[in-house]
Amino acid sequence: MIRIEINGEETLVPPGATVLDAVRQTGREVPTLCFDVRQAPFGACRVCLVGIEGARGPQASCTTPAQDGMKVDTHEPVARRVAAAVVELVLSELPGPPAEHTELAEVARMLDVGEPRWPGERHPDKHDEAHPYLAFHHELCISCGRCVRACDEVQGTFALAATGRSFGANVAAGLDEGFRDSACVACGACADTCPTDAITEISLLHLVDQEPVR
Amino acid sequence: MDRNGELTDDDRRLAAERSGLPEATVYGISTFYEDLLVPRGARHVRVCTGTACFAATADAHVHELEERLGLGMGERTEDRSLSLGETVCLGYCHASPAVRDGDVIDAGPDVVERVLAGAAQPAPEPLIKSLLDEPVLTRAGDWSGLRRALSESTPEELLEAVKDADVRGRGGAGFPAGTKWEFTRAAEGERKFIVANGDEGDPGSYIDKVLMEDNPHLFLEGMALAGFAVGAEHGFVLTRSEYPRSKPALEAAVAEARAQGYLGEDILGSGVSFDVTVVEGAGSYVVGEETALLSCLQGLRGTVSARPPFPAQRGLHGMPTVVNNVETLCNIPFIAARGAEAYRALSLCDTPGTKLVCFNERFERPGVYEVPFGMTVRALCEDVAGGMRDGREIKALQIGGPLGGILPAAKLDTVFDFDPLTAEGCMLGHGGIVGFDDRTDMRAVAKHLLRFGADESCGKCFPCRIGLRRAEEMFTNGKPVERARLEELLEALELGSLCAHGGGMPAPIRSLLLHFPDELGLA
Repeated sequence: MIRIEINGEETLVPPGATVLDAVRQTGREVPTLCFDVRQAPFGACRVCLVGIEGARGPQASCTTPAQDGMKVDTHEPVARRVAAAVVELVLSELPGPPAEHTELAEVARMLDVGEPRWPGERHPDKHDEAHPYLAFHHELCISCGRCVRACDEVQGTFALAATGRSFGANVAAGLDEGFRDSACVACGACADTCPTDAITEISLLHLVDQEPVR
Repeated sequence: MDRNGELTDDDRRLAAERSGLPEATVYGISTFYEDLLVPRGARHVRVCTGTACFAATADAHVHELEERLGLGMGERTEDRSLSLGETVCLGYCHASPAVRDGDVIDAGPDVVERVLAGAAQPAPEPLIKSLLDEPVLTRAGDWSGLRRALSESTPEELLEAVKDADVRGRGGAGFPAGTKWEFTRAAEGERKFIVANGDEGDPGSYIDKVLMEDNPHLFLEGMALAGFAVGAEHGFVLTRSEYPRSKPALEAAVAEARAQGYLGEDILGSGVSFDVTVVEGAGSYVVGEETALLSCLQGLRGTVSARPPFPAQRGLHGMPTVVNNVETLCNIPFIAARGAEAYRALSLCDTPGTKLVCFNERFERPGVYEVPFGMTVRALCEDVAGGMRDGREIKALQIGGPLGGILPAAKLDTVFDFDPLTAEGCMLGHGGIVGFDDRTDMRAVAKHLLRFGADESCGKCFPCRIGLRRAEEMFTNGKPVERARLEELLEALELGSLCAHGGGMPAPIRSLLLHFPDELGLA
């Protein structure tokens, strides 16, 4: 077992565990955006940054292997400042504030990030609503890759892929023809993991007549 | 691409069928690489927007070409006869500005006129010169190091010699090559690979280009020695599509070396085997980062992955892999032939060995020079390269690529070596020196660098993907640049980014803030 210290509290984790695993084991929370416990760590969002004694600058806890004797500080001010700056950047690429119930909104609240102070380019609106059960609003995509990994690693369907590069990075189903014409099997794993509502399940409840109350 | 001038969904379906990759994956790859993104006409003109070309004309050659061809960047005429794209960089920095018209790369002050007249001609190749009597990198490769290693030493002894010689990586990070080799040799794997990083994307640098195209045997010998030392039987070179001569030159040299018995199975009867495959990239700066390079070599999107695992543990196809820069590998034959002591003795300072440096067209005598470590930057710029042409003064230098800081003229007495340059917020990097003369607008330099940085972000990590675009916008939105906000952003980029691209782009901007604050239009 590996002995590691989180904010002064010692804990034991098995070999292969990450710093994030150790932090969560102590009941503490570090905000994350591209991490999903069901998937391999991705290391893209840089929101799970923590301070590690002796390390050069903040480290991404999701991809850093826990090592014996490591001392981790989840409140390290530089790590928190950079994580908040990154979340502000993420909010600035979206057309508007994230829906209250989304993970992105929750992470912004945890890091106390309000309305972004960055004017400039936003993702253009692009909607795929042709599929009966899944909708994709590409302008809400933050390229966290969770839907792609859910499709590849969890479902094994490989219907989604990261596309483009730099600010134009996004996600496409099939040859960007939308869910309906892709290999999608409508399992919903992508919508389930999406932290921004870019991919959502279309509810069929509105099609049902409400039963009259007796 | 060649048939239609653009990728169609039918092309993508065919690629998916042939490769066995999912259609979505193929789509993702096809929207990543520059060469696959820009539509091509029957005649495709690509204008170099690298830093040396910028230093030469402040982008006047770009605007003139756009205006007179009547096409913007990435546009094609309706009849599909002509298209215009940009490219960073063609490696003709000694003769800027450069334009590629079809397969002809032309360069020089009148290049735009020649291209417009349909009379582009191949640009002159650069001057190559050594300041040393016993050059390491500019002597022709003769395979004497490999012959000696195979007959007189064990792989362990060669590895020890490379460690004793303390060869630091010449591609940017300066990591000791011997340590990488040792990790790879010790790692478990049914096969091991040597990968040579020939993706010299740093605008203003044409060192690896010269090594691959003009001295390919020395380089291949270095790869074979690396294979011998770590127990790898196959090597890959990733070259750039912006350097169309590299792959043919290397493939010809590989064929010669096989015929001479230096590559292939049972080399010179030693029982040792090593062969080399050359792969050309498709236009992406970040592919020069080692995890992105491995991804590109495997035919995937050239995006960066978090380390660990390091390539030495899990690299190409999941196997232990050495990833070394081209120039780094070119140091090995000398060490194998002459020993670590002789190699160390070449330097004027603590960093052993020699370095290739190259200068841009603003200098009186641009070219590639082999120099010992330890000279001052002034001696290099003034004595070796002859100072600025046309009686101009040096205003500032960018050394080592776009992630290197900017050295103002007042700091020319800095020693050209890893640590002294780092102390000035700069880096040795690839060793390319781009001189800006006294007419240069340093705010335009900031814009130029940030535009490059934002466009070339691989798009994976959030600080780089969004932050570099915001930094560029701060300099292009017509408003004064709020210094405090910029510094906040630079911190997030430096400390938050996944790789050296986002982490390194702040360095030149910080240099500009330090040395040229009055020129930046700060609030």
